[in-house]
Formats: sequence, structure tokens, C-alpha cells
Amino acid sequence: MKTVFVRPELCIGCRHCEIACAIEHSESRRLFDAIHEEKRSLPRIHVEVGVNCLTFPNRCRHCDPAPCMQVCPTGSLCRDPVTGSVVVRYDRCIGCAVCAMACPFGIIHFQRVHNLDTDREVNAKCDNCIQRQKEGRIPACAEACKTGALEFGDANDLIRTSRRDFTLRLTASEGTDAEVPKIPANVGAFRAILEEMANLG
Amino acid sequence: MYDAFRSKRLAEQRALDAADQEIIAKALEDGVETAWDRFIDQQPQCGFGQLGICCNRCAMGPCRIEPFGKKPDRGVCGATADTIVARNLLDDLSTGAAAHSDHGREVLEVLLETAVGKSQGYQITDETKLKAIAAEYGINTENRKKEEIAEDVARAMLEEYGTLKNRIQMAERAPEKTKDTWKRLGIVPRSVDREIVESMHRIHMGVGADYVNILLHAMRTSLADGWGGSMMATEGSDILFGTPAPLRSRANLATLKQDMVNIVLHGHNPILSEMIVKAADDPQLKERAAGKGAKGINIVGMCCTGNELLMRHGIPIAGTFLDQELAIATGAVEVMVVDYQCIFPSIAQTAACYHTRVVSTSQKAKIPGTTYLEFRPETALDTAREIITVAIDNFPNRNPGRVRIPQKPVDLMAGFSEEAIRKALGGTYKPLIDAIVGGRIRGAVGIVGCNNPKIKQDYGHVTLAKELIKRDILVLETGCAAIACGKAGLLVPEAADLAGDGLGSVCKALGIPPVLHMGSCVDCSRILMLAANIAKELGVGIGDLPIGGAAPEWYSQKAISIGTYFVSSGVYVVLGIPPKIFGSPNVTGLLAAQLTDLVNASFAVEPDPVKAADLLEAEIDRKRKALGI
Repeated sequence: MKTVFVRPELCIGCRHCEIACAIEHSESRRLFDAIHEEKRSLPRIHVEVGVNCLTFPNRCRHCDPAPCMQVCPTGSLCRDPVTGSVVVRYDRCIGCAVCAMACPFGIIHFQRVHNLDTDREVNAKCDNCIQRQKEGRIPACAEACKTGALEFGDANDLIRTSRRDFTLRLTASEGTDAEVPKIPANVGAFRAILEEMANLG
Repeated sequence: MYDAFRSKRLAEQRALDAADQEIIAKALEDGVETAWDRFIDQQPQCGFGQLGICCNRCAMGPCRIEPFGKKPDRGVCGATADTIVARNLLDDLSTGAAAHSDHGREVLEVLLETAVGKSQGYQITDETKLKAIAAEYGINTENRKKEEIAEDVARAMLEEYGTLKNRIQMAERAPEKTKDTWKRLGIVPRSVDREIVESMHRIHMGVGADYVNILLHAMRTSLADGWGGSMMATEGSDILFGTPAPLRSRANLATLKQDMVNIVLHGHNPILSEMIVKAADDPQLKERAAGKGAKGINIVGMCCTGNELLMRHGIPIAGTFLDQELAIATGAVEVMVVDYQCIFPSIAQTAACYHTRVVSTSQKAKIPGTTYLEFRPETALDTAREIITVAIDNFPNRNPGRVRIPQKPVDLMAGFSEEAIRKALGGTYKPLIDAIVGGRIRGAVGIVGCNNPKIKQDYGHVTLAKELIKRDILVLETGCAAIACGKAGLLVPEAADLAGDGLGSVCKALGIPPVLHMGSCVDCSRILMLAANIAKELGVGIGDLPIGGAAPEWYSQKAISIGTYFVSSGVYVVLGIPPKIFGSPNVTGLLAAQLTDLVNASFAVEPDPVKAADLLEAEIDRKRKALGI
């Protein structure tokens, strides 16, 4: 199973993934044209601020079974058999937002899309860059991410890194201050300042 | 839907001052967007930018460095995080130095035009200072009219911006030991414009790649500001409008008046605001105001042009940087006059929610949606009258149903120029030095800088000032920091009760506040002069004095220049907002530690004002110990 795995500790909130996502789903798929398109493509990945100014890039997890698919009354949500991605048939979407109510991650987003002739706002959630994947490329967000906060690959491979980190943390004897993944001292110092500012006064 | 409880809670989170909180809640109620709302809209802010490792200079980029130790570790050109961070910092610093210095240039141009009789409404006010500066430049003053002297002085000072002389006269005012340090490091400023232009050159791709060398030039550029552009802005303004002396006034949004024509003067340069104050005395204009049903013309200041007027004329000050939108949101401002620096580009949109008209005046700072009345020295007074007329005629358009002015202005004392402080001490710093040696005053800290929506408005300034005076450390302030402490009631002699026993007793004996308002942001040069004169009286360098600096709520590039000229002159500086340098451990290490070996001062970053006070106290103790006191 291939997925875009999120490592939140590496996210620095630059929003490159948001821009890359919007470009990818625009009609032209080119930055300088995309910003002038009549139906402006909006990001389907959302970098938001949590506690202590830390950020998290939130996107569709392409669940299986997918709650959104299960509740959709028109069958507009379906699964791509090749990539396993949950995709939307825009022409069938009636904008009832029941999918959004069922989504555990709150990532459903309605907007106008160039793929439809009408001006209706439809569920335009992440489609796992299915077109890029067919072209043999990785999803745009993961490609744009320069820090490795978004990584595309086999889920079990990516989880292995997290598992190893956890093992290290668990087995580290007291006082060794094992920190995995290793955050450079300067970035750690900066985050400590942000945390202090977030909790000031 | 509007939620009164939510608005009140938000207002309490956003600002410390009760008058501000009241109007923040009103702005939320009126649906007026403010900087705090835009700050939320901007979240999250880009981490590459915050760490200073984004380079957007040339067309091979934009580039960024991966901060966790992976690729890319160089820009397309090959620049490392160190180079990119250092270049970005030099860019920001030079922008700030340029802003101060160009302000200074305009003051000197008006001085020159006044000297040759071309300006309207200006005069040479402080002849003593004029002659003292003439002496520094070796200009003959005997048997000459003050205008003749002023012409030579203005030309000599304007020459400091040029490149032929290769040295700045004002920098000679620094103590010998401090100047020797600059010479050793090769950072003696050569000319105001030269250092700034050279900065622009150095941040071009393929010039410097060595971060140490880039930062040394940043220090030199900052010195050209502090001991050049800024200092000349202060001195030129003093010659034209008078050197400030202690006086009383009031602060906060309650200085706006219910039944008067309210004019807010916002920006930085006194050359415009002084003329408006002068023109407001015109009986014809007063009559016109009465004809429109107003009881008079109420002029209040905002930000640093407000500080200039407060220092010299006791004009009340409505607030700090983050108060500019709030003043308009009272619904009681007829005209906000702006020149330049720190004016929100969206200010006309804010004003459009009410009857307020924003008048822009500088050909350098045109703002869409404002009324543009170009201000020129030769027609200054006429333009000032025109602006006041616009305000008077707008008075009937005020909607009383949308007006809310907070109840109580706060009393304050301002006007503490270096000369005024020296005079209050009896013409010499000996009494102050004795108090410091004896330990009643342990040292002094300059708190300067802005507001920033990243920290509750005024919380950093006020908390730090209170902490320091409690520890018998005298506080000297300029800019928005001074206004913040004015609003908080710390700029009155009675605030000596909040100080420690030692500082409190000295303040009570002299009848002065424990927190001294020394002027606008260019007037940080007054703090430099105070330090320089004390150091000279003791025969030491500025770096030996038990003093420190802080910018708890800074936002502006000007603050980077100020902070750097203080550190380069030997004064330890604590910043409350992290500068964009953390992406380079080398640059951070140089600024936070290694600089101490070079100039006996460094930077620190500490958002918590109580912990910042601990750092400053430790630095003061370190320097006291080195002096053997």
C-alpha cells in the first residue's frame, strides 16, 4: 500500500505542498497560468498551526474502507483499483457534505473545479495525484516537500523508520537524552522560542 | 455572528492596555480588520523564511536550504545557509539604516533651505546646539548670523552622506576605546550612503560568501546609522525645533476628544508634524472649526512623529504602532496625516469603515485610497493649513453613533534629551556615576522598538521595564517602547514607588520617573550620546559600562540596525522576537556568543520579559564586576 506519510516533526510550515497541490489540480498545471484561471484551483492539503506554533500538513488518508465512500448517497466517491486512492466523480457530487461529516480528518473541501462545466462547488479533496502516479511520478505535495515531512512510498517501509525511532526512544537508558528523529540544535532552539512566545502573558 | 464575550477575550489576549482593549473589541464589533486578524490569516508562516534560509534575490532562485541536515544544503549559486542568512540579515539591516538615514537627510535639507531662506514656517530654534555642532565641524561661528552658520552646518552634515570625505564626523563623538575597537575590526563607518550602497552590492550573487565578513559590514553599516544618519536626524531636528526638556503630557486613545476636530499625526519625521502643530494655532482655522460645531482642534501624535512632538511640545500621544488602526476605529478621527515608515498599507481601507480621511504627504510614500497633499519645505505651512482645513470640513461627517473614545488618558513626563538629563544632574554625570558606583543604581537599560502582533501589545515593554526598575536598573526608552510605558503609567515621577529602594530614592530626589522617555526611534542616538559621555567622563569605552539594551516587541528592519549599532558600540542587546538567523548555527553563534570577544557585547533572544530582565541583570553584574564596583 503506497501512501503519503506525514512526519510532523519535520514540517516547518512553508506551505510549498499547498502551492504544488493547487498547481497540480489546476487546468493548466502551470504556476503562472494557474493563478489566472477562472476557476481558481485551491490546495487540497492544509498546513495548519497546532499548539506551540508547530504545524501539521493534513490531507486525505485514502482510508479503506473509507467512511466518506460509505456514506455518499450518490456514489460519487469511489476507489481507484490501481492506486487504491479514494477519488471523486465530480459530476455525481451533489454537495451534501455528508462525506465531510463522516471524514475523521476533516479534510473534505468544496470548491469549483475546471473538470466540470457547471459552477457548482463539489468535493474536491486530495486525489493522491492519481494522474501523476499514472505518469510514474509521486504526488505533488511529497515532491514539493523539501524537509521530508511528506514522504511517498510503501506505508510499511515508511512506518519502519518510525518504528526504529520508537525502539530507540524506548530502549534509551535514562539520561541519554535520545532524540529521534534528530532535530538540529539551532532548529530546536528556534522552536523553543516559538513555544515560549505561544505561551507568553 | 458578533460575540461580545469572544471579542472581550480576544481583546485581552491582544493588548495589555485597557483603553486599547476597549477599542479592539469595538473594531471586532464593527467588523474592522486589524493587523491581529491579518496575522491569524497568515498562519502558518513559512519556516524557511523564519529561519532566514530562503533566498529570493536572483532569477536562478528562489532557493531554500533544508534545515534538518539533508539536501538541498546550497542554493543554485552554491550559497550555504551561513551565506544566505548573513546576506538576508545585511539586507534587512541596511533597509533599516536607510530608513533612519533618509529621514535624517530630509531634516538636514530643510535645515539648509531654512538657512538660505527658502523654507516656509521654519526657523533656527536651538542656536546653542547649532554652534556646538559647528565647532565639531570646525565651522567658524564668530560674528556670523545663525543662518550663515546653519547653512555651513547643514552642508557639512549632508556631506556625511557622500563618499569623498571617507569618515563621519559624528562618529568621533564615541569614546577613544570604543573607536579603537572599531578600527581594529575595520568597521569605522565611512559615509552613510556608502555603507548602505555597499551593502546592496555585497548581497548581490557572487560578491561575498564569507558570513563573518558580511556581518562585519553589517556592523559598519549600523554604525553609519547610529552615529551618522540617526544622530544627524536628532541633531538637525533639535536645531530646527528645539532640544527637548522635561515636560508633562498624556497618552493613550483617550487623548482623542469627543467634541473637537481630531487630527492624528502618524509616521516619523517632525518636519511635517511640526508645521501642522504650528498651523493649528491659526485663529482663522479655529474659527472655521467653531463654525462646524467643534470646540477646537485636537492634535495628537502616533508612533515616532508623535514622540517628536511629545518631546518638544508636550502634544499628547494616542498610541503605538499597533494603535494606528484602533485610533481610526474610535470613529472620532477626522484626519490621520502620515509621512512614512510603519504606516500600514491598508490604512485607507481601515479609514473607509468610518468618516476618517487619511492624508499622505510624502512623494516617497503614496498610499492608495488616501488624499495626497504633497509636503514641501517651501510651502510647508500652506500645506499644513490645507490639511487642517480638510479635517475641519470632515468634522460634520462624523457619525456620533459609531464613536467610542476610552475614558481616561494617562499622565506622563517626557522630554529627556541627553542634554536635559545632564542639566538635571547639574551639568555633569558625576551624580549618576556616583549612584552607579555606590550601587543605588546598578546600571541602565535602553528599551526600544516597536509592537508586533506575535506578542501581546505592550506586554514585553511594560513587563521588562517594571522588572528592571524593581532591580534598581534605570530604564531609558525611545519609540513605541516609550509610548507603551507612558500608557502604562511608568513615565511619571510617582512610578518611583515601583522601583527598588536605591533607584526609587534617586528618582524621588531628582523628581524624575524611573523610566525616561528619550524620544523617537532615531533618538536612540541620544542613548548612544548618554553612554558615550558617561564613558568619556570615566575614561572607559561604552563596552565597559554596566548597561544593556532590549527590543522586546520589535518588528521593523530599523530595529535590526539599532540593535546592531548598540552591540557594535559595546552594549548587550536582548531581542524579544527571534531574528531570521536560526537557520545558520554559525551566524547565530557569532551574534549570540563570539561577538563578546570582539566588542564585549552580544545579542540574546528571550521572549519572556522576566527572563530577559534576568539576562540584562547578569550582564550588568558582569560589567560592574569588571569595573571593580
